[in-house]
Amino acid sequence: MAPDQPVLEIRHAALAYDRVPVVEDVNGSVGRGQAVALIGPNGAGKTTLIKAVLGLVPVVRGSISVLGRPPRAARREVAYVPQADALDPEFPVSALQVVLMGRYPRIGWVRRPGRVDRAAARSALDAVGLAGEAATRFGILSGGQRQRVLLARAIAQEPRLLLLDEPTNGVDAVSQQLLLAALGRLREDGAAVVVATHDLALAHLACDEVCLLNRHQVGFGPLARTLTPELLRAAYGGQAIELGGEGVIVARQ
Amino acid sequence: MSELLLEPFRLPYMQRAMAEVLLLGVLTGVAGVFVVLRRLAFMTDALTHTVFPGVVIAHLAGWSLALGALAFGVLTAVLLTILATNRRVASDAAIAIVLTSLFSVGVVLVSRQRSYTSDLTLFLFGRILTVDRADLLTTLVLTVVVLGVLAVIGKELVLRSFDPEGASAMGYPGVALDLALNLLIALVVVAAVKAVGTVLVVAMLIVPAASARLLAGRVAGMTVLACLSGVLAGWGGLLASYHLSVSGGVRLAAGATIVVVLVAGFLAVLAATALARRQPRPRLGVSGGAGFAPPEDRVVGP
Repeated sequence: MAPDQPVLEIRHAALAYDRVPVVEDVNGSVGRGQAVALIGPNGAGKTTLIKAVLGLVPVVRGSISVLGRPPRAARREVAYVPQADALDPEFPVSALQVVLMGRYPRIGWVRRPGRVDRAAARSALDAVGLAGEAATRFGILSGGQRQRVLLARAIAQEPRLLLLDEPTNGVDAVSQQLLLAALGRLREDGAAVVVATHDLALAHLACDEVCLLNRHQVGFGPLARTLTPELLRAAYGGQAIELGGEGVIVARQ
Repeated sequence: MSELLLEPFRLPYMQRAMAEVLLLGVLTGVAGVFVVLRRLAFMTDALTHTVFPGVVIAHLAGWSLALGALAFGVLTAVLLTILATNRRVASDAAIAIVLTSLFSVGVVLVSRQRSYTSDLTLFLFGRILTVDRADLLTTLVLTVVVLGVLAVIGKELVLRSFDPEGASAMGYPGVALDLALNLLIALVVVAAVKAVGTVLVVAMLIVPAASARLLAGRVAGMTVLACLSGVLAGWGGLLASYHLSVSGGVRLAAGATIVVVLVAGFLAVLAATALARRQPRPRLGVSGGAGFAPPEDRVVGP
Protein backbone atom coordinates (compact mmCIF):
# COMPACT_ATOMS: atom_id res chain seq x y z
CA MET A 1 0.00 0.00 0.00
CA ALA A 2 1.31 3.43 -0.91
CA PRO A 3 1.83 5.52 2.24
CA ASP A 4 -0.37 8.33 0.94
CA GLN A 5 -3.26 6.08 -0.06
CA PRO A 6 -6.43 7.14 1.79
CA VAL A 7 -8.03 4.63 4.14
CA LEU A 8 -11.49 5.44 2.80
CA GLU A 9 -12.10 6.87 -0.65
CA ILE A 10 -15.57 7.73 -1.95
CA ARG A 11 -15.90 8.83 -5.56
CA HIS A 12 -19.25 10.27 -6.71
CA ALA A 13 -21.04 7.41 -4.99
CA ALA A 14 -24.81 6.89 -5.19
CA LEU A 15 -26.33 4.36 -2.80
CA ALA A 16 -29.66 2.60 -3.19
CA TYR A 17 -32.00 0.14 -1.49
CA ASP A 18 -34.02 -1.84 -4.05
CA ARG A 19 -32.69 0.40 -6.84
CA VAL A 20 -34.26 3.56 -5.29
CA PRO A 21 -31.39 6.00 -4.68
CA VAL A 22 -31.15 7.09 -1.04
CA VAL A 23 -27.94 9.09 -1.15
CA GLU A 24 -26.32 10.62 -4.21
CA ASP A 25 -23.05 12.14 -5.25
CA VAL A 26 -20.93 11.60 -2.14
CA ASN A 27 -17.32 12.49 -2.76
CA GLY A 28 -14.36 12.59 -0.40
CA SER A 29 -11.61 10.71 1.33
CA VAL A 30 -10.35 9.95 4.83
CA GLY A 31 -6.66 9.37 5.52
CA ARG A 32 -4.72 7.64 8.30
CA GLY A 33 -5.39 9.20 11.70
CA GLN A 34 -8.08 11.48 10.28
CA ALA A 35 -11.60 11.79 11.68
CA VAL A 36 -14.66 12.87 9.71
CA ALA A 37 -18.04 13.78 11.19
CA LEU A 38 -21.01 12.71 9.10
CA ILE A 39 -23.63 15.35 9.81
CA GLY A 40 -27.18 15.72 8.56
CA PRO A 41 -30.83 15.52 9.64
CA ASN A 42 -32.70 12.26 10.26
CA GLY A 43 -33.19 10.42 6.98
CA ALA A 44 -30.26 12.23 5.36
CA GLY A 45 -28.57 8.92 4.63
CA LYS A 46 -25.84 8.87 7.30
CA THR A 47 -26.54 5.29 8.34
CA THR A 48 -26.92 4.24 4.71
CA LEU A 49 -23.49 5.67 3.90
CA ILE A 50 -21.95 3.81 6.87
CA LYS A 51 -23.59 0.58 5.73
CA ALA A 52 -22.27 1.11 2.22
CA VAL A 53 -18.75 1.47 3.62
CA LEU A 54 -19.35 -1.88 5.36
CA GLY A 55 -20.45 -3.38 2.04
CA LEU A 56 -24.02 -3.92 3.28
CA VAL A 57 -25.70 -1.42 0.93
CA PRO A 58 -24.92 -1.48 -2.80
CA VAL A 59 -23.12 1.39 -4.52
CA VAL A 60 -25.10 1.92 -7.74
CA ARG A 61 -22.92 4.64 -9.25
CA GLY A 62 -19.41 5.82 -8.53
CA SER A 63 -17.31 3.85 -6.07
CA ILE A 64 -16.34 3.33 -2.46
CA SER A 65 -12.99 1.79 -1.62
CA VAL A 66 -11.41 0.91 1.70
CA LEU A 67 -7.59 0.66 1.62
CA GLY A 68 -7.86 0.41 -2.16
CA ARG A 69 -10.23 -2.57 -1.99
CA PRO A 70 -14.00 -2.89 -2.42
CA PRO A 71 -15.77 -2.64 0.99
CA ARG A 72 -16.62 -6.36 1.20
CA ALA A 73 -12.99 -7.33 0.69
CA ALA A 74 -11.79 -4.98 3.44
CA ARG A 75 -14.17 -5.95 6.26
CA ARG A 76 -11.41 -7.34 8.44
CA GLU A 77 -9.88 -3.84 8.56
CA VAL A 78 -13.14 -2.09 9.46
CA ALA A 79 -14.95 -1.96 12.80
CA TYR A 80 -18.48 -0.73 13.32
CA VAL A 81 -19.84 0.64 16.60
CA PRO A 82 -23.66 0.44 16.76
CA GLN A 83 -25.83 2.45 19.13
CA ALA A 84 -25.87 0.75 22.51
CA ASP A 85 -29.59 1.14 23.02
CA ALA A 86 -30.28 -0.89 19.86
CA LEU A 87 -29.13 -4.00 21.73
CA ASP A 88 -31.21 -6.13 24.14
CA PRO A 89 -30.13 -5.22 27.70
CA GLU A 90 -31.47 -8.56 28.99
CA PHE A 91 -29.15 -10.64 26.79
CA PRO A 92 -27.06 -12.96 28.99
CA VAL A 93 -23.50 -11.77 28.22
CA SER A 94 -20.82 -10.05 30.27
CA ALA A 95 -19.01 -6.89 29.19
CA LEU A 96 -15.86 -8.93 28.50
CA GLN A 97 -17.81 -11.42 26.38
CA VAL A 98 -19.22 -8.58 24.25
CA VAL A 99 -15.69 -7.26 23.69
CA LEU A 100 -14.46 -10.77 22.83
CA MET A 101 -17.05 -10.86 20.02
CA GLY A 102 -14.81 -8.37 18.23
CA ARG A 103 -12.17 -11.11 18.08
CA TYR A 104 -14.45 -13.73 16.47
CA PRO A 105 -13.41 -13.01 12.85
CA ARG A 106 -9.77 -13.60 13.89
CA ILE A 107 -10.57 -16.64 16.01
CA GLY A 108 -12.56 -18.32 13.23
CA TRP A 109 -15.21 -21.03 13.45
CA VAL A 110 -15.07 -23.87 16.02
CA ARG A 111 -12.25 -22.40 18.14
CA ARG A 112 -12.80 -20.65 21.46
CA PRO A 113 -11.16 -17.31 22.35
CA GLY A 114 -7.58 -17.96 23.46
CA ARG A 115 -5.19 -16.20 25.81
CA VAL A 116 -4.17 -13.58 23.21
CA ASP A 117 -7.83 -12.75 22.52
CA ARG A 118 -8.63 -12.39 26.22
CA ALA A 119 -5.63 -10.11 26.73
CA ALA A 120 -6.69 -7.96 23.74
CA ALA A 121 -10.26 -7.75 25.06
CA ARG A 122 -9.11 -6.79 28.57
CA SER A 123 -6.79 -4.08 27.29
CA ALA A 124 -9.61 -2.74 25.07
CA LEU A 125 -11.91 -2.55 28.11
CA ASP A 126 -9.11 -0.79 29.96
CA ALA A 127 -8.80 1.72 27.10
CA VAL A 128 -12.41 2.83 27.62
CA GLY A 129 -12.09 2.92 31.43
CA LEU A 130 -14.07 -0.23 32.12
CA ALA A 131 -11.36 -2.67 33.25
CA GLY A 132 -13.23 -3.19 36.51
CA GLU A 133 -16.50 -4.13 34.85
CA ALA A 134 -15.27 -7.10 32.77
CA ALA A 135 -17.50 -9.60 34.58
CA THR A 136 -20.54 -7.33 34.82
CA ARG A 137 -23.54 -8.27 32.72
CA PHE A 138 -23.75 -5.95 29.69
CA GLY A 139 -27.36 -4.90 30.37
CA ILE A 140 -26.68 -3.84 33.96
CA LEU A 141 -24.19 -1.17 32.82
CA SER A 142 -25.38 2.41 32.21
CA GLY A 143 -26.10 3.59 28.67
CA GLY A 144 -22.75 5.39 28.46
CA GLN A 145 -20.85 2.39 29.78
CA ARG A 146 -22.58 0.09 27.27
CA GLN A 147 -21.55 2.46 24.47
CA ARG A 148 -17.97 2.26 25.75
CA VAL A 149 -18.11 -1.53 25.82
CA LEU A 150 -19.12 -1.45 22.14
CA LEU A 151 -16.22 0.88 21.37
CA ALA A 152 -13.95 -1.55 23.23
CA ARG A 153 -15.29 -4.36 21.01
CA ALA A 154 -14.31 -2.28 17.97
CA ILE A 155 -10.85 -1.60 19.47
CA ALA A 156 -10.39 -5.36 20.01
CA GLN A 157 -10.92 -5.79 16.26
CA GLU A 158 -7.73 -3.73 15.72
CA PRO A 159 -9.34 -1.82 12.84
CA ARG A 160 -7.75 0.63 10.42
CA LEU A 161 -11.13 2.26 9.83
CA LEU A 162 -13.64 2.83 12.61
CA LEU A 163 -17.30 3.67 11.92
CA LEU A 164 -19.52 4.99 14.71
CA ASP A 165 -23.29 5.58 14.59
CA GLU A 166 -24.48 8.33 16.99
CA PRO A 167 -22.00 7.33 19.73
CA THR A 168 -23.06 10.09 22.14
CA ASN A 169 -26.85 9.65 22.02
CA GLY A 170 -28.00 9.53 25.63
CA VAL A 171 -24.45 9.19 26.92
CA ASP A 172 -23.42 10.86 30.20
CA ALA A 173 -20.58 13.41 30.36
CA VAL A 174 -18.03 11.04 31.93
CA SER A 175 -18.61 8.40 29.27
CA GLN A 176 -18.40 11.05 26.56
CA GLN A 177 -14.98 12.16 27.84
CA LEU A 178 -13.74 8.56 27.93
CA LEU A 179 -15.12 7.85 24.44
CA LEU A 180 -13.34 10.92 23.05
CA ALA A 181 -10.07 9.99 24.75
CA ALA A 182 -10.19 6.45 23.38
CA LEU A 183 -10.99 7.74 19.88
CA GLY A 184 -8.05 10.12 20.12
CA ARG A 185 -5.66 7.28 20.97
CA LEU A 186 -6.97 5.17 18.09
CA ARG A 187 -6.28 8.05 15.71
CA GLU A 188 -2.77 8.46 17.10
CA ASP A 189 -2.22 4.81 16.27
CA GLY A 190 -3.20 5.57 12.67
CA ALA A 191 -6.85 4.51 12.51
CA ALA A 192 -9.24 6.57 10.38
CA VAL A 193 -12.57 7.45 12.02
CA VAL A 194 -16.02 8.25 10.62
CA VAL A 195 -18.68 9.39 13.11
CA ALA A 196 -22.32 9.80 12.12
CA THR A 197 -23.86 12.31 14.52
CA HIS A 198 -26.30 15.14 15.15
CA ASP A 199 -23.97 16.53 17.75
CA LEU A 200 -22.06 19.51 16.36
CA ALA A 201 -20.10 19.74 19.62
CA LEU A 202 -18.90 16.18 19.14
CA ALA A 203 -17.83 17.06 15.60
CA HIS A 204 -15.76 19.96 16.96
CA LEU A 205 -14.20 17.85 19.71
CA ALA A 206 -13.47 14.63 17.85
CA CYS A 207 -13.11 15.45 14.16
CA ASP A 208 -11.11 17.61 11.83
CA GLU A 209 -13.29 17.21 8.76
CA VAL A 210 -17.02 17.21 8.14
CA CYS A 211 -19.24 15.63 5.53
CA LEU A 212 -22.59 17.45 5.46
CA LEU A 213 -25.30 15.23 4.10
CA ASN A 214 -28.95 15.55 3.16
CA ARG A 215 -29.74 12.88 0.54
CA HIS A 216 -26.80 14.32 -1.36
CA GLN A 217 -23.53 15.82 -0.22
CA VAL A 218 -23.94 19.44 0.85
CA GLY A 219 -20.28 19.91 1.74
CA PHE A 220 -17.09 18.04 2.62
CA GLY A 221 -14.01 19.63 4.09
CA PRO A 222 -12.25 21.04 7.14
CA LEU A 223 -14.49 21.80 10.11
CA ALA A 224 -14.14 25.58 10.01
CA ARG A 225 -14.96 25.84 6.31
CA THR A 226 -17.81 23.33 6.34
CA LEU A 227 -19.79 23.91 9.54
CA THR A 228 -20.85 27.36 8.35
CA PRO A 229 -24.33 28.82 8.88
CA GLU A 230 -24.94 28.76 5.10
CA LEU A 231 -24.04 25.09 4.64
CA LEU A 232 -25.80 23.99 7.84
CA ARG A 233 -28.95 25.74 6.66
CA ALA A 234 -28.58 24.02 3.30
CA ALA A 235 -28.32 20.64 5.04
CA TYR A 236 -30.92 21.12 7.75
CA GLY A 237 -33.34 23.63 6.18
CA GLY A 238 -35.59 25.22 8.79
CA GLN A 239 -34.12 23.05 11.53
CA ALA A 240 -30.96 25.16 11.67
CA ILE A 241 -31.27 28.16 13.97
CA GLU A 242 -28.70 30.94 13.83
CA LEU A 243 -27.62 32.32 17.19
CA GLY A 244 -25.94 35.43 15.84
CA GLY A 245 -22.25 35.76 15.05
CA GLU A 246 -20.85 32.36 14.15
CA GLY A 247 -23.13 30.25 16.34
CA VAL A 248 -25.59 27.89 14.76
CA ILE A 249 -27.50 25.21 16.57
CA VAL A 250 -29.45 22.39 15.04
CA ALA A 251 -32.90 21.79 16.43
CA ARG A 252 -33.90 18.14 16.65
CA GLN A 253 -37.47 17.07 16.18
CA MET B 1 -37.39 -44.14 48.44
CA SER B 2 -34.68 -45.15 46.00
CA GLU B 3 -36.85 -48.16 45.18
CA LEU B 4 -39.61 -45.75 44.16
CA LEU B 5 -37.23 -43.73 42.00
CA LEU B 6 -35.32 -46.55 40.30
CA GLU B 7 -37.57 -49.63 40.35
CA PRO B 8 -39.60 -48.66 37.23
CA PHE B 9 -36.42 -48.53 35.18
CA ARG B 10 -35.87 -52.30 35.52
CA LEU B 11 -38.47 -52.67 32.80
CA PRO B 12 -36.81 -52.60 29.37
CA TYR B 13 -39.42 -50.31 27.82
CA MET B 14 -38.95 -47.85 30.71
CA GLN B 15 -35.17 -48.03 30.24
CA ARG B 16 -35.54 -47.10 26.57
CA ALA B 17 -37.99 -44.34 27.40
CA MET B 18 -35.58 -43.00 30.01
CA ALA B 19 -32.63 -43.07 27.61
CA GLU B 20 -34.72 -41.27 24.97
CA VAL B 21 -35.84 -38.63 27.45
CA LEU B 22 -32.28 -38.02 28.67
CA LEU B 23 -31.02 -37.57 25.10
CA LEU B 24 -33.91 -35.27 24.24
CA GLY B 25 -33.43 -33.31 27.46
CA VAL B 26 -29.85 -32.49 26.50
CA LEU B 27 -30.63 -31.92 22.81
CA THR B 28 -33.65 -29.66 23.37
CA GLY B 29 -31.89 -27.91 26.25
CA VAL B 30 -28.94 -26.84 24.11
CA ALA B 31 -30.97 -26.08 20.96
CA GLY B 32 -33.66 -24.33 23.01
CA VAL B 33 -31.15 -21.75 24.23
CA PHE B 34 -30.69 -20.58 20.62
CA VAL B 35 -34.45 -20.70 19.97
CA VAL B 36 -35.12 -18.47 22.97
CA LEU B 37 -32.21 -16.07 22.39
CA ARG B 38 -33.08 -15.67 18.71
CA ARG B 39 -36.84 -15.46 19.53
CA LEU B 40 -37.79 -18.33 17.26
CA ALA B 41 -40.57 -19.86 19.39
CA PHE B 42 -43.24 -19.29 16.74
CA MET B 43 -40.93 -20.55 14.00
CA THR B 44 -40.34 -23.70 16.06
CA ASP B 45 -44.07 -24.15 16.55
CA ALA B 46 -44.53 -23.86 12.78
CA LEU B 47 -41.83 -26.49 12.14
CA THR B 48 -43.58 -28.97 14.41
CA HIS B 49 -46.70 -28.68 12.24
CA THR B 50 -45.09 -28.55 8.83
CA VAL B 51 -43.31 -31.89 9.28
CA PHE B 52 -46.80 -33.46 9.51
CA PRO B 53 -47.32 -34.04 5.75
CA GLY B 54 -43.89 -35.68 5.67
CA VAL B 55 -44.88 -38.06 8.45
CA VAL B 56 -48.18 -38.88 6.70
CA ILE B 57 -46.55 -39.52 3.33
CA ALA B 58 -43.88 -41.70 4.94
CA HIS B 59 -46.59 -43.60 6.83
CA LEU B 60 -48.63 -44.18 3.65
CA ALA B 61 -45.59 -45.22 1.65
CA GLY B 62 -44.21 -47.40 4.44
CA TRP B 63 -41.00 -45.40 4.81
CA SER B 64 -39.34 -44.29 8.02
CA LEU B 65 -41.43 -41.56 9.68
CA ALA B 66 -38.27 -39.71 10.68
CA LEU B 67 -37.18 -39.56 7.05
CA GLY B 68 -40.51 -38.04 5.97
CA ALA B 69 -40.40 -35.54 8.81
CA LEU B 70 -36.79 -34.69 7.94
CA ALA B 71 -37.64 -33.92 4.30
CA PHE B 72 -40.47 -31.54 5.23
CA GLY B 73 -38.49 -30.02 8.11
CA VAL B 74 -35.69 -29.12 5.71
CA LEU B 75 -38.23 -27.79 3.18
CA THR B 76 -39.78 -25.57 5.88
CA ALA B 77 -36.43 -24.25 7.09
CA VAL B 78 -35.47 -23.30 3.52
CA LEU B 79 -38.87 -21.72 2.72
CA LEU B 80 -38.88 -19.64 5.90
CA THR B 81 -35.31 -18.44 5.40
CA ILE B 82 -36.10 -17.37 1.82
CA LEU B 83 -39.32 -15.59 2.83
CA ALA B 84 -37.52 -13.81 5.66
CA THR B 85 -35.18 -12.12 3.18
CA ASN B 86 -38.15 -10.32 1.58
CA ARG B 87 -38.58 -7.18 3.63
CA ARG B 88 -42.20 -6.79 2.53
CA VAL B 89 -43.28 -10.11 4.05
CA ALA B 90 -43.37 -9.85 7.84
CA SER B 91 -41.71 -12.91 9.36
CA ASP B 92 -44.73 -13.86 11.50
CA ALA B 93 -46.98 -13.70 8.43
CA ALA B 94 -44.53 -15.84 6.47
CA ILE B 95 -44.46 -18.40 9.28
CA ALA B 96 -48.25 -18.52 9.49
CA ILE B 97 -48.56 -19.04 5.73
CA VAL B 98 -46.03 -21.87 5.60
CA LEU B 99 -47.42 -23.48 8.77
CA THR B 100 -51.05 -23.61 7.64
CA SER B 101 -50.41 -24.55 4.01
CA LEU B 102 -48.16 -27.52 4.78
CA PHE B 103 -50.21 -28.68 7.77
CA SER B 104 -53.41 -28.67 5.69
CA VAL B 105 -51.70 -30.83 3.07
CA GLY B 106 -50.99 -33.30 5.85
CA VAL B 107 -54.57 -33.22 7.09
CA VAL B 108 -55.95 -33.74 3.57
CA LEU B 109 -53.69 -36.77 3.12
CA VAL B 110 -54.41 -38.29 6.51
CA SER B 111 -58.16 -37.76 6.36
CA ARG B 112 -58.30 -40.29 3.52
CA GLN B 113 -57.17 -42.97 5.95
CA ARG B 114 -59.40 -45.04 8.20
CA SER B 115 -57.16 -44.84 11.26
CA TYR B 116 -57.15 -41.08 10.94
CA THR B 117 -57.47 -40.01 14.59
CA SER B 118 -54.99 -42.44 16.11
CA ASP B 119 -52.32 -41.45 13.59
CA LEU B 120 -52.92 -37.82 14.33
CA THR B 121 -52.73 -38.39 18.08
CA LEU B 122 -49.46 -40.25 17.69
CA PHE B 123 -48.08 -37.36 15.65
CA LEU B 124 -49.22 -34.69 18.08
CA PHE B 125 -48.33 -36.38 21.37
CA GLY B 126 -45.92 -39.18 20.53
CA ARG B 127 -45.73 -42.50 22.36
CA ILE B 128 -42.64 -42.50 24.46
CA LEU B 129 -43.23 -45.93 26.03
CA THR B 130 -43.11 -47.61 22.61
CA VAL B 131 -39.72 -46.16 21.62
CA ASP B 132 -37.56 -48.97 20.18
CA ARG B 133 -33.84 -49.36 19.58
CA ALA B 134 -34.06 -47.88 16.09
CA ASP B 135 -35.83 -44.77 17.40
CA LEU B 136 -33.18 -44.40 20.08
CA LEU B 137 -30.44 -44.69 17.48
CA THR B 138 -32.13 -42.03 15.31
CA THR B 139 -32.32 -39.67 18.26
CA LEU B 140 -28.70 -40.37 19.18
CA VAL B 141 -27.44 -39.69 15.64
CA LEU B 142 -29.46 -36.47 15.35
CA THR B 143 -28.26 -35.32 18.78
CA VAL B 144 -24.63 -35.85 17.77
CA VAL B 145 -25.18 -34.00 14.48
CA VAL B 146 -26.94 -31.01 16.07
CA LEU B 147 -24.48 -30.66 18.95
CA GLY B 148 -21.58 -31.07 16.49
CA VAL B 149 -22.81 -28.27 14.25
CA LEU B 150 -23.47 -26.04 17.27
CA ALA B 151 -19.89 -26.63 18.41
CA VAL B 152 -18.77 -25.23 15.04
CA ILE B 153 -21.07 -22.19 14.71
CA GLY B 154 -22.37 -21.70 18.27
CA LYS B 155 -20.49 -18.52 19.17
CA GLU B 156 -21.33 -16.94 15.80
CA LEU B 157 -25.03 -17.76 16.35
CA VAL B 158 -24.87 -16.07 19.76
CA LEU B 159 -23.28 -13.00 18.16
CA ARG B 160 -26.00 -12.90 15.50
CA SER B 161 -28.71 -13.18 18.18
CA PHE B 162 -27.18 -10.41 20.28
CA ASP B 163 -26.23 -7.97 17.51
CA PRO B 164 -27.38 -8.97 14.00
CA GLU B 165 -26.11 -5.74 12.40
CA GLY B 166 -22.74 -6.03 14.11
CA ALA B 167 -22.42 -9.62 12.91
CA SER B 168 -23.12 -8.56 9.31
CA ALA B 169 -20.64 -5.70 9.67
CA MET B 170 -17.99 -8.25 10.71
CA GLY B 171 -18.73 -10.12 7.50
CA TYR B 172 -20.79 -13.01 8.88
CA PRO B 173 -23.40 -14.27 6.39
CA GLY B 174 -26.69 -13.58 8.16
CA VAL B 175 -28.95 -15.58 5.86
CA ALA B 176 -26.66 -18.62 5.95
CA LEU B 177 -26.49 -18.54 9.76
CA ASP B 178 -30.29 -18.23 9.98
CA LEU B 179 -30.74 -21.13 7.57
CA ALA B 180 -28.31 -23.25 9.58
CA LEU B 181 -30.18 -22.57 12.83
CA ASN B 182 -33.57 -23.23 11.20
CA LEU B 183 -32.26 -26.55 9.87
CA LEU B 184 -30.90 -27.51 13.30
CA ILE B 185 -34.28 -26.82 14.90
CA ALA B 186 -35.91 -28.93 12.19
CA LEU B 187 -33.54 -31.80 13.10
CA VAL B 188 -34.46 -31.50 16.78
CA VAL B 189 -38.16 -31.63 15.93
CA VAL B 190 -37.58 -34.74 13.80
CA ALA B 191 -35.59 -36.38 16.62
CA ALA B 192 -38.45 -35.82 19.06
CA VAL B 193 -41.51 -36.59 16.91
CA LYS B 194 -41.81 -40.31 17.70
CA ALA B 195 -41.16 -39.97 21.43
CA VAL B 196 -43.01 -36.85 22.54
CA GLY B 197 -44.90 -35.71 19.45
CA THR B 198 -44.82 -32.31 17.83
CA VAL B 199 -46.89 -30.40 20.34
CA LEU B 200 -44.72 -31.45 23.24
CA VAL B 201 -41.38 -30.89 21.52
CA VAL B 202 -42.23 -27.19 21.38
CA ALA B 203 -42.51 -27.27 25.16
CA MET B 204 -39.23 -29.17 25.52
CA LEU B 205 -37.43 -26.61 23.34
CA ILE B 206 -38.91 -23.46 24.83
CA VAL B 207 -39.71 -24.08 28.51
CA PRO B 208 -36.32 -25.27 29.89
CA ALA B 209 -34.48 -22.50 28.02
CA ALA B 210 -37.03 -19.91 29.17
CA SER B 211 -36.61 -21.03 32.79
CA ALA B 212 -32.82 -20.95 32.43
CA ARG B 213 -33.04 -17.48 30.87
CA LEU B 214 -34.60 -16.20 34.10
CA LEU B 215 -31.74 -17.56 36.19
CA ALA B 216 -28.54 -17.27 34.17
CA GLY B 217 -26.46 -14.20 33.39
CA ARG B 218 -24.35 -16.00 30.74
CA VAL B 219 -25.17 -18.13 27.72
CA ALA B 220 -23.03 -21.00 29.08
CA GLY B 221 -24.85 -21.03 32.40
CA MET B 222 -28.18 -20.81 30.60
CA THR B 223 -27.27 -23.86 28.50
CA VAL B 224 -26.29 -25.97 31.52
CA LEU B 225 -29.48 -25.02 33.39
CA ALA B 226 -31.68 -25.69 30.36
CA CYS B 227 -30.20 -29.19 29.91
CA LEU B 228 -30.52 -29.97 33.62
CA SER B 229 -34.10 -28.80 33.71
CA GLY B 230 -34.99 -30.81 30.58
CA VAL B 231 -33.35 -33.99 31.91
CA LEU B 232 -34.85 -33.66 35.40
CA ALA B 233 -38.33 -32.93 34.08
CA GLY B 234 -38.04 -35.89 31.68
CA TRP B 235 -37.04 -38.23 34.48
CA GLY B 236 -39.61 -36.84 36.93
CA GLY B 237 -42.39 -36.87 34.36
CA LEU B 238 -41.73 -40.47 33.35
CA LEU B 239 -41.61 -41.56 36.95
CA ALA B 240 -44.78 -39.73 37.93
CA SER B 241 -46.75 -41.09 35.01
CA TYR B 242 -45.51 -44.64 35.76
CA HIS B 243 -46.45 -44.64 39.44
CA LEU B 244 -49.76 -42.91 38.94
CA SER B 245 -50.68 -45.31 36.15
CA VAL B 246 -49.47 -48.53 37.82
CA SER B 247 -50.42 -48.01 41.46
CA GLY B 248 -52.62 -44.92 41.31
CA GLY B 249 -54.89 -46.27 38.63
CA VAL B 250 -54.80 -42.89 36.86
CA ARG B 251 -53.75 -43.22 33.23
CA LEU B 252 -51.31 -40.41 32.56
CA ALA B 253 -49.65 -39.88 29.18
CA ALA B 254 -45.90 -39.83 29.86
CA GLY B 255 -45.06 -37.10 27.34
CA ALA B 256 -47.73 -34.74 28.63
CA THR B 257 -46.66 -35.39 32.23
CA ILE B 258 -43.12 -34.34 31.34
CA VAL B 259 -44.45 -31.05 29.98
CA VAL B 260 -46.55 -30.47 33.09
CA VAL B 261 -43.40 -30.94 35.21
CA LEU B 262 -41.46 -28.55 32.92
CA VAL B 263 -44.08 -25.84 33.14
CA ALA B 264 -44.41 -26.25 36.92
CA GLY B 265 -40.64 -25.73 37.13
CA PHE B 266 -40.88 -22.62 34.95
CA LEU B 267 -43.64 -21.14 37.14
CA ALA B 268 -41.61 -21.85 40.30
CA VAL B 269 -38.54 -20.10 38.81
CA LEU B 270 -40.71 -17.20 37.62
CA ALA B 271 -42.20 -16.76 41.09
CA ALA B 272 -38.80 -17.05 42.80
CA THR B 273 -37.12 -14.49 40.52
CA ALA B 274 -40.10 -12.12 40.83
CA LEU B 275 -39.75 -12.33 44.61
CA ALA B 276 -35.97 -11.79 44.40
CA ARG B 277 -36.56 -8.74 42.22
CA ARG B 278 -38.66 -7.15 44.96
CA GLN B 279 -35.86 -7.38 47.49
CA PRO B 280 -33.97 -4.08 47.59
CA ARG B 281 -30.67 -5.75 46.78
CA PRO B 282 -29.05 -4.35 43.64
CA ARG B 283 -26.98 -6.64 41.41
CA LEU B 284 -28.52 -9.84 42.62
CA GLY B 285 -26.87 -12.23 40.16
CA VAL B 286 -30.32 -13.35 38.97
CA SER B 287 -31.99 -10.85 36.68
CA GLY B 288 -32.89 -8.42 39.41
CA GLY B 289 -30.64 -5.49 38.73
CA ALA B 290 -31.77 -4.61 35.22
CA GLY B 291 -31.77 -0.88 34.71
CA PHE B 292 -29.66 -0.30 37.79
CA ALA B 293 -26.80 2.01 36.94
CA PRO B 294 -23.66 1.50 39.03
CA PRO B 295 -22.00 4.61 40.44
CA GLU B 296 -19.67 6.31 38.02
CA ASP B 297 -16.98 6.94 40.64
CA ARG B 298 -15.46 3.53 40.00
CA VAL B 299 -14.60 4.55 36.47
CA VAL B 300 -10.90 4.87 35.75
CA GLY B 301 -9.99 8.26 34.35
CA PRO B 302 -8.44 8.75 30.89
